[in-house]
Amino acid sequence: MAWRILRRNPVAMAALGLIALFLIMAVLGPRLRGIDGGVINVKAKNAPPSRELWFGADDMGRDLFSNLWLGLRVSLTVAVVCGAAQIVLGSLIGGLMGYLGGIVDVVIMRVIEIISSVPGLLITMIVMMILGNGVLSLLLAISITSWCGTARQIRGQIMQLRETEYILAAETLGAGAWRTITRHLIPNTAGIIIVNLTSSIPQYIFMESGLSFVGLGLQPPNISLGTLIASGQVHMDFAPHQLLFPCAALCLIVLAFNLLGDGLRNALDPRLRR
Amino acid sequence: MGFLKYALRKLGLMVVTLAIIASATFFLVNAVPGNPIAARTLRMPETVKAELYAKYGFDKPLWPRYVITMRGLLRGDFGMSAVYEGDTVPNIIASKLPVSARLGLQQMLVGVTLGILLGVVSALKNGRAADFAIIALAAFAVSIPQLVFSLLLQKFFAGAKTGLPIIGWSGFKSTILPTIAGAFVYTSFYARLMKSSILDVIGQEYIMTAESKGISGFRVVTRHVLRNAFVPIITYLPMTVAMCVTGSFFVESVFTIPGLGYYYVKSVQQRDLSMVMGLTVFIAALLLAVVFVTDILYKLVDPRIRLERAGKR
Repeated sequence: MAWRILRRNPVAMAALGLIALFLIMAVLGPRLRGIDGGVINVKAKNAPPSRELWFGADDMGRDLFSNLWLGLRVSLTVAVVCGAAQIVLGSLIGGLMGYLGGIVDVVIMRVIEIISSVPGLLITMIVMMILGNGVLSLLLAISITSWCGTARQIRGQIMQLRETEYILAAETLGAGAWRTITRHLIPNTAGIIIVNLTSSIPQYIFMESGLSFVGLGLQPPNISLGTLIASGQVHMDFAPHQLLFPCAALCLIVLAFNLLGDGLRNALDPRLRR
Repeated sequence: MGFLKYALRKLGLMVVTLAIIASATFFLVNAVPGNPIAARTLRMPETVKAELYAKYGFDKPLWPRYVITMRGLLRGDFGMSAVYEGDTVPNIIASKLPVSARLGLQQMLVGVTLGILLGVVSALKNGRAADFAIIALAAFAVSIPQLVFSLLLQKFFAGAKTGLPIIGWSGFKSTILPTIAGAFVYTSFYARLMKSSILDVIGQEYIMTAESKGISGFRVVTRHVLRNAFVPIITYLPMTVAMCVTGSFFVESVFTIPGLGYYYVKSVQQRDLSMVMGLTVFIAALLLAVVFVTDILYKLVDPRIRLERAGKR
């Protein structure tokens, strides 16, 4: 149902296509031109875009086209892993809170409130300090606060659903807990989860590149869009391509996820559908 | 009376929350491997080393240090910075806060005002070209990360052509680009928020009542629609301030502005544990205070809640 509505939305479909393209390029892109992004080429130092080097080269003569897709790979990894962590942890904890209620609910709710009162970026930075720089610690540090919002919303939705008449009807007709959860609770929370996910993925991507930009996420020689942008800022006067290409990639991927998210929200929310 | 009780309860809860945040931060920060003065004391004689360790309290085990730190926090003593020699954390915060506060206020003033104006226009012209343009622009602007926007401003608008400085913080001119860099986020956010809030209010029955009484369209908008549409906007105040804090990390880093965000990043990089601890507690306290004020404001402003109180009397 939602898919059919989404398919008729050209903007959302274009965004979906763009994301698919980026996914493919993140896998194939670094090898597409046959130039190893790690190879230092003194002759191509700060070279502008050309037929040989499509996106130019950086200050050590490394091919930016290959490295851009390597950086995008990190962004998409962050999006997928942290998004998955958010969903799994969020629905598990939120479901537990909503289903059990009582003291479990009160305690976890307080924990969520406390975590949410500090900007997630601060917590992520402190955790990065403990774990050190690296992709794995970055994923963990971003995931650590990711579940709070989802858990709170899932909890609310489940509490609301448990009061509804059709759940009551299902239970009086003899449906067990398993059937209630799989047939009624999960399908009814899927919408929240998807909307939640599409609105937080851009934030994860942005957080990764921002942290790497200020030197707290990945650090060279590791490549992410953030480190590329950071070195691009240094050379922006005489080699603007080093700044503009990674910035454009970051904007496009965030834009694509945002537009897809808007489309999904419209498709899934029956109140917006008219 | 009920109101005072409500406020006191919220205040108590806030203090407890802050104590938990401070404790959690303490243990997290102390889980960081190594300490900031280890590198400095590497080649010092043992006695000087021991003295320096004693000065920063690294000679004591974790729990006594926890008690000392928490006691210090209560008295407003956040300890010494381990990197900026001889400077206490409160001193550093006090010298950087005005910079961040000014930048943040300028950003909010410009961004929120423009956003609300655009939101009103877009809601009143709902479905027409102006509305479409504003909403499309807002959706597009939301997708430009603040970091990228700051860098693009710096690349294309700073320098000799416009006379705006590329980096630094001296005089009004140097605040223009950072202000725009931060403001556009609020503009797109508040334009969308204001539009949906107004559309919600326009659908209410009391607006129809006002219109059927023969009140002119302009008066309906100013007296009824806008006043009610502003109520939900207030709840987003804490989020706005939090956005400002988060944004300041990147905007201040791009433009090298000596504010709290820039120094937080620097302290994390330099493993200046007491600075990270102090700044985190300070920022958390600031945000909690904003949430508290918002709660109080909301109670005072919402006409429905006021009516309820008047009815009881």
